[in-house]
Amino acid sequence: MQPILAVDHLTKRFGGLVAVDDVSFELFEGQILGLIGPNGAGKTTMVSLISGTVQPSAGKVVFQGAPIAHLPAFRRSRLGIGRTFQLMKPFPGLNVLDNVAVGALFGTGGGKRQLGEAREDAAHWLAFVGLGHRERQRADELGGPDRKRLELAKALAMNPRLLLLDEVMAGLHHGEIDEVVSVIRKVQSRGITVLLIEHVMKAIQRLSDRVLVLHHGTKIAEGAPDAVLNDPQVVDAYLGTRRV
Amino acid sequence: MMRAVGSIAFAALLLTLLLVPWLAPPALIQFGTTTLLLATLAQSWNIIGGYAGYASFGNSVFYGIGGYGTAIAMVQFGLPFGIGILLGALLAVFFALLLGLPVLRLRGHYFAIATLALAEAMTGVVSNLDIAGRNIGLVLPLRKGDAFFYELSLGLLAVATLTVFWISRSRFGFGLIAIREDEDAAGVMGINTTLYKALAFLLAGFFSALAGGIHAYWITFIDPVSAFDITLNVMMIIMAIFGGAGTIFGPLVGAVLLSSISEILATEITGMASLFFGLVIVVAVVFMPRGLTDLMQRMPGLGWRYFRENLRLHRL
Repeated sequence: MQPILAVDHLTKRFGGLVAVDDVSFELFEGQILGLIGPNGAGKTTMVSLISGTVQPSAGKVVFQGAPIAHLPAFRRSRLGIGRTFQLMKPFPGLNVLDNVAVGALFGTGGGKRQLGEAREDAAHWLAFVGLGHRERQRADELGGPDRKRLELAKALAMNPRLLLLDEVMAGLHHGEIDEVVSVIRKVQSRGITVLLIEHVMKAIQRLSDRVLVLHHGTKIAEGAPDAVLNDPQVVDAYLGTRRV
Repeated sequence: MMRAVGSIAFAALLLTLLLVPWLAPPALIQFGTTTLLLATLAQSWNIIGGYAGYASFGNSVFYGIGGYGTAIAMVQFGLPFGIGILLGALLAVFFALLLGLPVLRLRGHYFAIATLALAEAMTGVVSNLDIAGRNIGLVLPLRKGDAFFYELSLGLLAVATLTVFWISRSRFGFGLIAIREDEDAAGVMGINTTLYKALAFLLAGFFSALAGGIHAYWITFIDPVSAFDITLNVMMIIMAIFGGAGTIFGPLVGAVLLSSISEILATEITGMASLFFGLVIVVAVVFMPRGLTDLMQRMPGLGWRYFRENLRLHRL
């Protein structure tokens, strides 16, 4: 099976800090890869390296067989890479519908040409994430959970082949997490590949085909969710060394 | 019904504006021409400042280049006005690309300061060019009658406004707005931010240069200090923001109102004019930072709360 995304010995240094240190992994079409690790492990940097908002210090990123590490972010999104931001980035002055319409107007393959079509698409994706009733509101009037949904709808409207989700469940309560989990299942059933960064282990366990763990920028474990989450090294990284 | 009434009122307004040179006294035609040119400048600033969110202090550079291009073509090469103004506009577009590509990499205050420096630099450069008459300037051939310049300015403003109207509902315009609201998110969503910013800068430069060309021919004189005067750039920003930056008609409303207020103050109470003008601007920016357009849309619903909310949201 040909991987849709291959990360090959990828390294990112910020001055003296090595945020991502020689990490390699592959992501297969239609699968969900969970990316976990303590705060500061380099998860968001990894997403930024793949989406193109940060340039790598060394290593390769290969998407659908072609190297993309030298491309600016907008070209990668046209190839079919969509992402959400952990620190959400809505367009505050636009209403919710038009926020999502921007995704439909650009995104994969350059997107829709006509504003009308893009708005129809946007309405579809807002309903998909359960935000249909807020279309006319300004984005900066939304509360936290709805902003998360908006991030997701904006990324989906870009019609991505690969979706990078950076903590879309942080700050949500149980019922809301279940909703987002079922949305991500629906996304997967459309054939979209997902890289899922999350601290909510219940969701990682339920959704991921495989799990990858970063710690201080290096990969410390990779494999099936149950095996990885019970790996003593992973438990140590999250909870600190057991002193008993 | 409301739409029909609106269209008729709009057509009547346009017709009246068109007929001004045949109905009004010369002083009013001159005031009208100045106001139309200022409105064109505010509207072109609106493209880069209002839609793309880049506070340009370099638009008066394009205005000056347009004026000088026209003057040099007519005086030094004996070309007709029509060709001169087009050459001036092309020169401005060339400069917009040349300067825009490096300068548009800067954001926020840094962009503003860099464009401010451009205006100063241009004054210095042009003052030392023989072809531009060095620091003395150039005298253009005289064309009698204000009607020609008035109608030309009205036409230019109409084209600039139609362009902004198109921008406001096009894919291009949505790209600019996304850049204004969050440039990183815009890039990740597939918008070629560098290209879009450069195009917005170029369009703003094009219309500013045409206004500069008309003005130079109308006044029949151009010199480095007044051609690249930064006060003019400040005026267009204030007019656009006062009326409502990032809207279609905001800059026009701002230009007409502020131009009228300044005209009345200047003739009635000369000494106090700039003081009053300054006060109007301070009050407007503090209480209605989103401009008149936003005030008219939202104040009827909110009442006095509108001002309180603005104070709360926009304080430092």
